[in-house]
Amino acid sequence: MNTVVAGITYRALLGRRRIILLLLLPLALIGLAVLLRVIGSDDQRSAVLLMEKFAIGTMLPLLGLIAGTGVIAPEIDDGTIIHLLSKPISRPAITRTKFLVAASLLALFAAVPTYVAVWLLVGNEDGLAPGFALGALVAGIAYAAVFLLLGIVTRHAVTIGITYALVWESLVGGFVPGAQQFSIQRWALTVADQLSDSPFLTTRVTFGFAVPALVVVTVGAVLWAGHRLRGFALTGDE
Amino acid sequence: MSEIYDIGYRHYDGPRLGGGHATRALAVHSLRGIYGLGRTARSKIMPFSLATIMLLPAVVSVAVMAMLGERAMTYSGYAVIMQPIAAIFLASQAPTAVAPDLRHRVLPLYLSRPITVSAYVGAKVAAMTGALFLMLAAPLILMYVGELVIDLDGPPQTKEFLGALSMALVLALLLATFGLALASLTPRRGLGVASVIAVYLLSFASVPLVYTALDMSGYHSAASWAWLMNPFWLVDAVQVWLFDTPPNADGAYPGGPMPAVIVVALIGLALAVLAARYRKAASR
Repeated sequence: MNTVVAGITYRALLGRRRIILLLLLPLALIGLAVLLRVIGSDDQRSAVLLMEKFAIGTMLPLLGLIAGTGVIAPEIDDGTIIHLLSKPISRPAITRTKFLVAASLLALFAAVPTYVAVWLLVGNEDGLAPGFALGALVAGIAYAAVFLLLGIVTRHAVTIGITYALVWESLVGGFVPGAQQFSIQRWALTVADQLSDSPFLTTRVTFGFAVPALVVVTVGAVLWAGHRLRGFALTGDE
Repeated sequence: MSEIYDIGYRHYDGPRLGGGHATRALAVHSLRGIYGLGRTARSKIMPFSLATIMLLPAVVSVAVMAMLGERAMTYSGYAVIMQPIAAIFLASQAPTAVAPDLRHRVLPLYLSRPITVSAYVGAKVAAMTGALFLMLAAPLILMYVGELVIDLDGPPQTKEFLGALSMALVLALLLATFGLALASLTPRRGLGVASVIAVYLLSFASVPLVYTALDMSGYHSAASWAWLMNPFWLVDAVQVWLFDTPPNADGAYPGGPMPAVIVVALIGLALAVLAARYRKAASR
């Protein structure tokens, strides 16, 4: 953890246009929740549907992508990463710092709006709101780690990440149940299910698999990202 | 013809091809760039793998037609079913068409030649439209050729095929103008990709939710309008109006020419944003 690096990263993410994107998605989620409430479908079924399809299924991977790649990919893209890499700071420490920045942003922009949206719809019934908030938090942290790694490994991080989230987690996961075992979104729903006893929320991944998987993916991605940055080659493909 | 400085070099006395030729060259160059042709192998991977994924259902459909004599995919529904792939293609490739020129601020160099701002924007829009149309039309053409070769019972669905093909062009134009307008707002590639895909996913994920919620609460006519907030369903609504195909969404679309008017208005809006953006970029 390096506070100067963290400060620079925060400024790069929040001071530019990226913050519009970071704000747009949570605002859309809360807007949808308000709309559902206004037209009178504020029951648990639609709350769970909103969470599964929009909050966990769309907003979370996108925010993870924007924050996770946003902490490092622009610097690699325009070459200014060389100023950071040439300082006597250990490279794994740089990745750890950047990961913590991305994770904190996801807590703020994903987990908090998730709680607010569920609370708007069903209040605190059956522990749905804290359940989904915790699910969004842990899955957001895992996404931040994975997409940080992806941002270091490839310049097409955003495209590959969105293809994973859309094609693997949503499309393939919808047809092939086995694919859901290896889906961060499903792990998030399992965590949410653990805290909530709503009958509308069902999961196929067991809690005993989801938690170790989340930990392994998060820690593994951060460690590997640090390793990749240690042997980083500053060559472009454009 | 304009020269920047005449510092005594030998003059060019070959044929002068004019502004139209320069614009066409820029469009072809951009189109090749979108598919990564003439660039490194690594920049070909993304567009070609997405185009291949886009073709897969058509290949499966032709195989099903050959073996079972049934149609697996309809022409009119292809774009709606495969919309995430087309949207990812748009998001990943639209910034490659506009971001480098903005980032390296080379626009004044283009404009020192007989290319105007509107010709530059027109060339980029034409290139992106062409790239998307190739991607959307190739599976349709493959399926149609397959249908003709296999010779299914009954007449070939030529009318539906041609309708879907023309709608693919409309959809490509709508997506291209919008994608380029969004991508041109930032000179950074990654952020451009993220903003295009974020706006698309916002509509893709929220529209069915809004529709279901409105429909369940009894607002049936308002629910049908919800579909028009996503470009693919919007163009499908135009297709239903023009060619009388079955809708590819739950329930019906609002009938009449309104979806077509919205499409035209959206294309106009996106072109206006592009023109304003590039007028500003050119003056720096």
